[in-house]
Amino acid sequence: MTSVTIGSPDLHIEDPDVIGRRWRTGLLLLIVADGAFVASLIFSYLYLRGLNTEKAWLAAGQQTAAIWVAWLISGLLAVSALIFRWGQQGIQAGSERRLLTGATFALLVLIADAVIQVIQLVQFPFGIDTSAYSSTIYTMAGANLFHLLLTIFLGIAMVNRTRAHIYSDTSNWQVRLVGVWWTWIALAAIASALATSFIASPNH
Amino acid sequence: MSEAVVQHGAVARPVGGGAMRRLHLGTALAGGLILGFVAWYLSHHFLADTDDPEASNQVTSITMVGWAIGFMIGIGAFRGPWRWMLGKDQTHEDETFYAGKDQGIGRYFRFTTDHKVVGIQYLVVTMVLLAVGGTLAMMIRTDLITKDSRFLGPQTYNSVVGLHGLVMIIATIIMVTGPFGNFIVPIMIGARDMAFPRLNALSLWLIVAAIPVLLSAGFLGGIPTGWSGYAPLSDQAPPGMDAYLMTIIIFAISSAIAGANITTTILTMRARGMTWNRTPIFVWGTMASVGLAIPAFPMFMSAMVLLGVDRTAGAQFFVASAGGSPWLYANLFWIMGHPEVYVIVIPAVAALMEIAPVFARKPLFNYNAAVLAIVGIVGLSIMVWAHHMYASGWAPDLNGPFMLTTELISIPTGLLFLVVVGTIWRGRVWTTLPMLAVYAMLWNFIIGGITGIYLSDVPADYALHGSMFVTAHFHYTLMGAGLTGAIGALAYWFPKMTGRTLHKRAGFISFWLVQIGFNVTFIGMFAVGLAGQPRRVEHYASLFGVGNFVSTMGAYTIGIGMLVLLYAVVSSWRHGAIAISNPWGSKTLEWTVPNPIPLENFEVLPVVIADPYGYGEGDPALTGVGAGATPVTVGSGPPERTSVGSDGEST
Amino acid sequence: MSTSQLGDRARGWWQRRETRGIFAIWTVLTIALIAFGFVPSHIMGPPASPTMRAVEDTMTIFTIAAAPVAAIVWAIALYSLLRWRHRGDEIPTQDGPAIRSNGPATTVWLVLSSILCAFLLIWGLAEETAVARPATAANALVINVTGQQWVWTFSYPGQGNVESDQLYLPLNRPVVFHVTSKDVIHSFWIVQMGIKIDANPGESTETSVIPDRLGVFDIRCAELCGLLHADMETSAHVVNADDFARWVNANGGHV
Ligand code: HEA
Ligand code: HEA
Ligand code: CUA
Ligand SMILES: [Cu+2]
Repeated sequence: MTSVTIGSPDLHIEDPDVIGRRWRTGLLLLIVADGAFVASLIFSYLYLRGLNTEKAWLAAGQQTAAIWVAWLISGLLAVSALIFRWGQQGIQAGSERRLLTGATFALLVLIADAVIQVIQLVQFPFGIDTSAYSSTIYTMAGANLFHLLLTIFLGIAMVNRTRAHIYSDTSNWQVRLVGVWWTWIALAAIASALATSFIASPNH
Repeated sequence: MSEAVVQHGAVARPVGGGAMRRLHLGTALAGGLILGFVAWYLSHHFLADTDDPEASNQVTSITMVGWAIGFMIGIGAFRGPWRWMLGKDQTHEDETFYAGKDQGIGRYFRFTTDHKVVGIQYLVVTMVLLAVGGTLAMMIRTDLITKDSRFLGPQTYNSVVGLHGLVMIIATIIMVTGPFGNFIVPIMIGARDMAFPRLNALSLWLIVAAIPVLLSAGFLGGIPTGWSGYAPLSDQAPPGMDAYLMTIIIFAISSAIAGANITTTILTMRARGMTWNRTPIFVWGTMASVGLAIPAFPMFMSAMVLLGVDRTAGAQFFVASAGGSPWLYANLFWIMGHPEVYVIVIPAVAALMEIAPVFARKPLFNYNAAVLAIVGIVGLSIMVWAHHMYASGWAPDLNGPFMLTTELISIPTGLLFLVVVGTIWRGRVWTTLPMLAVYAMLWNFIIGGITGIYLSDVPADYALHGSMFVTAHFHYTLMGAGLTGAIGALAYWFPKMTGRTLHKRAGFISFWLVQIGFNVTFIGMFAVGLAGQPRRVEHYASLFGVGNFVSTMGAYTIGIGMLVLLYAVVSSWRHGAIAISNPWGSKTLEWTVPNPIPLENFEVLPVVIADPYGYGEGDPALTGVGAGATPVTVGSGPPERTSVGSDGEST
Repeated sequence: MSTSQLGDRARGWWQRRETRGIFAIWTVLTIALIAFGFVPSHIMGPPASPTMRAVEDTMTIFTIAAAPVAAIVWAIALYSLLRWRHRGDEIPTQDGPAIRSNGPATTVWLVLSSILCAFLLIWGLAEETAVARPATAANALVINVTGQQWVWTFSYPGQGNVESDQLYLPLNRPVVFHVTSKDVIHSFWIVQMGIKIDANPGESTETSVIPDRLGVFDIRCAELCGLLHADMETSAHVVNADDFARWVNANGGHV
């Protein structure tokens, strides 16, 4: 006998906070997984840049990506995350309106950001096959676009669900978790932008 | 999205209504085939006006993505997220339907969320994969029976070896944490389901979707690269390689989800009173394994994404002349590849550590050391990957440091041996099939571990790398400890999972055939490896003839033994004697629930008052004091928690 | 605890039947494994370089060092099957002794495995330095090795760029190989000399050795490189300095 039984069998209370905490753990673990993926891409960029195999990290005379575009994209992403968090604080204080406003604006900024990301992808002044540098830049931009699309889905859900009056000051863990995720992808984009700001290989 | 979703946009219906409820494996296959075909047709139409390999890679990849998405739509995986996005959560009836209530055998072919169903599904998937991998192994050994049999030919041989390796690795990654981690662990910790039942079903069905993709590699020109898929050979490979990388991408997503789910379950849903030092060691092992997989597999996935971009879009990640590097691939691969071997072996050994006390009728020896060892292995295992690359030349100066970290792992691993041996020490050893697996592990894993130590020695690895010695080493660990542990776990939990008793005689016969055959096969392989036979060669110098012949005979013996096991499992599952609820006299919680196990496992949730290893210590519930037990008065707990029946739990 | 008490405990422990039984099995197993320790180097064959000799010694020493550890695990396992086994189909009616832990046993085990581990590491580092020594020798012969699907090419830059698909090496002279590849990864392996290094496209890697036995040795490719990987073999001929010079001249080079 290593256990005893207690309680009454037919209580089916599921405390939302309990579920919320569970999801928080789950989300953090998924962010670890996604973080490992993002880190691998950044590692790939820095490693190939450091190796500069056959001095071909950059092709001879190749144009490089405008750094400010990557910063614009990650900056807008950070702005949208902040707007969302502003809305999130609203619902935590009981204002559904503020959450709706915040989520809607954050979503719009995010969509604009995704559009810019697509424009950047199609307008790079080089092809994906030009050099190792080009390959990595394209792939990292693609990964960021994937993040953006996933988060647009979450953003739409937030707007819909707020309008359906699902959240309140006592029940809003989903909003908080979306906020966590949103913040994470902003950080990921900033880290990528930072890495890709260093273009020329230190190894000539 | 799917038409089913549209129909269900409406408010929830009573049980039994709606097209959504008619989705099952059949509609999934149909969905996969249809979308796969559409994707193939469109991409073929728009892209394949040239014969260039890039275009055919694109067509293959797009088709496979189409298949996978179609399959997941067809099984109903996207319904939950879609409705969540619309703000129309599932009702309680939906949830119980999804949990498979009152659906008989049909629930095994659906997107069912009950962890026990998912566990059984994982078990079947694992066995199918093992059977495929085993058949491929028999083909390998048949080809190698003489120095020049030409049974397969070099092209097919390379593919068969790679597929064997990959199928087996995938099978063994899921073989313990899939079936037993899903079925047993929640009950073992006193929970009514997993933390995220729907993610659980998702992880399983993703693997099912990946299997046809993987097997299709055999028909798409194969994979010429072995399981490691080294670039740039994989850059120039036929479209089979696209199947390979797509499989791994899907599998990586699946295991990240499964890992988050199982880890969260264990972290947050243990029964009241189940403190960390009362948590069964198998639960620790499971958590370590899936937790380690969480950061590991995404890196593998990234390697596959880069490879896929290389192959379909002409990127240059691994093409040296354009600034790419094969070393990038090798690093990404092994940063995953080494943790992965511990992902495989830890839960298997942990299962055996759970088994040993039961059949030695003694407490687990030095529980704290066992936990520390597992933690130590996990910590070290992410710092050793470059021992696979000593001879690659990527960073010769780092070989020494990597030798250090690698050899350090033998200390925590050795502790695991102390735990098992200490548990057996002066026990009443009841040599059932699960217990025999413990002994087999003690034999095999010592050999596998010590040969690993030879390989960790840099100069010795220069001599042995890429030879059959390495192959023999990892079969001793993967199969000798990993698969053996899984078979022990299956024999141990069989009565609980199927409600029936495993055929004893057939079990023993199979055990001895497999273990003897196994040792013959791979000792022969050690010999030819030392004598200088490279890995992955379809024919070889006559010097290696005897050793290979011996190996092949051993392999056939394993094959026969595995068939006997398969017979034992299948026949016992169908007609075996009905098992009582606790046939082994174990003390973990899963043996306290009745057979067959009710949908929510526990009528009333248990409160744990001692760890489950109190053999020979009297009964803490009677005396009031077990080792470290805090007696709890019956009836004084907080309100029940349950895990089914919420509508907040979505996505 | 006084010395005599300790002595009493040790004696009491030694009196126990299982202690002696296990010790006996352990002794037999250890001796058998130590004897077995010489088998791997025997299978690896007569070494053709100091490097290979070091590797074979390592195999022997590691096996011998591991022998007592493996033997104790197996001895206890074996003894438990012989003596502590519960026969019958039913759950044993009596439990075993409730031993939860044993501090001294754990400490001894940890200390011994740490010592063993430290030994392996130090041995390995020393050996690694030793086998790298030919690389820095002043009179080293430099050879460029190129792998491509599925042949090896050797060229001798110091000998007027003589090229060959067979490797010729003068006896007892340090050789440094610069290894690269034209297509995929290969791995350059002289089996009896115990050296191996990958041939990577776009990179040059290095290994070195002192061939110290006359004869013809096997060169194999040790990295899967596609269709004919199994056939990517050639020979290394270790010859006297004179014969080497003759071979170079015959192939249009100069020494
Ligand atoms: C479950 C799988 C598994 C496990 C557990 C291990 C365990 C170990 N492996 Fe193995 N290994 C593989 C699977 C595994 N390996 C695979 C699949 C490959 C090849 C992949 C490929 O190329 O395709 C491989 C390849 C591989 C290599 C590269 C070989 C090469 O390609 O050149 C090396 C080199 O260091 C290595 C080392 C080790 C070591 C040191 C351990 C250690 O963890 C072992 C520790 C255990 C013990 C030492 C025994 C018990 C300890 C004691 C009793 C205590 C006292 C002992 C001492 C202090 C020594 N392994
Ligand atoms: C866990 C992993 C695993 C397992 C179990 C095996 C099992 C076997 N392997 Fe394999 N093998 C690998 C992983 C594994 N292998 C890997 C990673 C490689 C490297 C590939 C590469 O180089 O790229 C390899 C390579 C490899 C080679 C080298 C090829 C070469 O380099 O040229 C050979 C050669 O003999 C071989 C043989 C065998 C044999 C005879 C078995 C037999 O033991 C098989 C017998 C098993 C069965 C018949 C399975 C049946 C089981 C059931 C039916 C159900 C049981 C159910 C439960 C437990 C739930 N394997
Ligand atoms: Cu070249 Cu294998
Ligand atoms: Cu490893």
